[in-house]
Amino acid sequence: MNSWLRVAAAVAGKDIVIEVRSKTAILSAVVFAALVLIIFNFARDASLVSSSVLAPSVLWITFAFAGMIALNRGFNLEKENAALEGLLLAPVSRSAIYVGKLISNLAFVGMVEAVALPLFVLFFNVPVWGILTGLIGLIVLATIGFVAVGTLFSAMTVRTRFAELMLPMLLLPFMVPPLIGAVQTTTRMFAGRPLSEMIGWLRILALYDVVFITLCVLIFPAVVDE
Amino acid sequence: MPENAGYMIAAYIVAAVVYLVYGGSLITRALRALRSDRDILGR
Amino acid sequence: MKPTISSSRGIMKWGIALTVLGLVAMVGIYLLALAYTPLEVRQGAAQKIFYVHVPAAWSAMVAFTLVGLVSILYLWLRDERLDAFAASSAEVGLVFSVIMLTTGPIWGKPIWGTWWTWDARLTLTLILFLLFVGYMTLRSAVHDPAERARFAAVVGIMGMVLVPFIHLSVYLFRTLHPMPIVLKPSSPSLPPEMLRTLLLGFLAATVLYVGFVVLRYGLARHAMAQLDEEA
Repeated sequence: MNSWLRVAAAVAGKDIVIEVRSKTAILSAVVFAALVLIIFNFARDASLVSSSVLAPSVLWITFAFAGMIALNRGFNLEKENAALEGLLLAPVSRSAIYVGKLISNLAFVGMVEAVALPLFVLFFNVPVWGILTGLIGLIVLATIGFVAVGTLFSAMTVRTRFAELMLPMLLLPFMVPPLIGAVQTTTRMFAGRPLSEMIGWLRILALYDVVFITLCVLIFPAVVDE
Repeated sequence: MPENAGYMIAAYIVAAVVYLVYGGSLITRALRALRSDRDILGR
Repeated sequence: MKPTISSSRGIMKWGIALTVLGLVAMVGIYLLALAYTPLEVRQGAAQKIFYVHVPAAWSAMVAFTLVGLVSILYLWLRDERLDAFAASSAEVGLVFSVIMLTTGPIWGKPIWGTWWTWDARLTLTLILFLLFVGYMTLRSAVHDPAERARFAAVVGIMGMVLVPFIHLSVYLFRTLHPMPIVLKPSSPSLPPEMLRTLLLGFLAATVLYVGFVVLRYGLARHAMAQLDEEA
């Protein structure tokens, strides 16, 4: 168990170090998120639709697309110099490799979201101070779900042709439940509704996370082992 | 003509075309495969 | 198990026979629906889309469910026949969902007053359709047969687990945002002519599903056997 944790931490750690040193991927994802936010502001008739009506959808579409860019990068790192084959030759548990990858992807998507959220608040003028803890909790809950599935899928798509197209095609259907839940909950949070109106959606999001992390851990060996 | 008959006819034609095109293409491919075997193997 | 030319020939012949049988049965359903079933009072002839739409939806769901179940078996047993079956069932499932997704809105237009509504079942079918288009695209994007089979099986299993989540979230979404439904499309108890025709429709669609899959499977096995023979 102890060595399992060390493997997961090592896999996650090396990815994060590579990312912090190169900064290219994170920078492009952050710029991408900012551009999506800007485009969304102009993709509405300002005299008919106020930005606050659109805000929850904008937030989550931005996160979903930026997350997709971030996930495409995850296993690309391993493809160069056949690093994944090297990693798999090591006598370590596959589930630890998956969890390590999941953690580094979560850190990466989380960083992008951490930059995009203040930009969103600034551009769309949404009062978030009162609900900040709840909103961050919701972002974590929804992000874990689709990043878990995306981490598994990107391990496959990176080994196919048209990897950059393959991943969104497979992953977007799996983003439907987390995105519906997240947008519904965000709308209620912005409107100051009580927790009882959100708890149903939060339960679905939590169930999604638990079910898909478990399934991905179980199924990951089938992706990487011949 | 009963009410809404146009919708019914449209739906029936769409479904029939899809079934026939897919089924027809599968049958054609299978017949071609069966025939080519016979040519090669003399069966 | 390696396929042989002669065994795949037998499968293809069965497939042709069953497909022809299924198509003939479908003609029978058309005739029954047109001549035997009564005209529904409120919906008129549009209600008769029911006998084409619902059996196609049934076969699509059977097809996609079997892809998921067989994918689990594949990862366990690693038999390439299971993979060939999953690929066949997925493709045939797409054909049936095309029918469901086209006849559904044609039925919806006169009854709901709109071509498309975000009804839970219609939405679920659309998302499943797109997911299985992705499944087939993934298959075509992987060269190595064993790798292709493993990747496809992973998507098949994940898709099966996704279904209840999509259904639940779309359902909750819709009940909070009521759709402009003019009339409820289904009535609780069907007259016997309608029920009999529907049940026969299920039977015809099932035979057609089996025929398509057997034929598609036989073709895949035949192509594999030919490759082996050339090698």
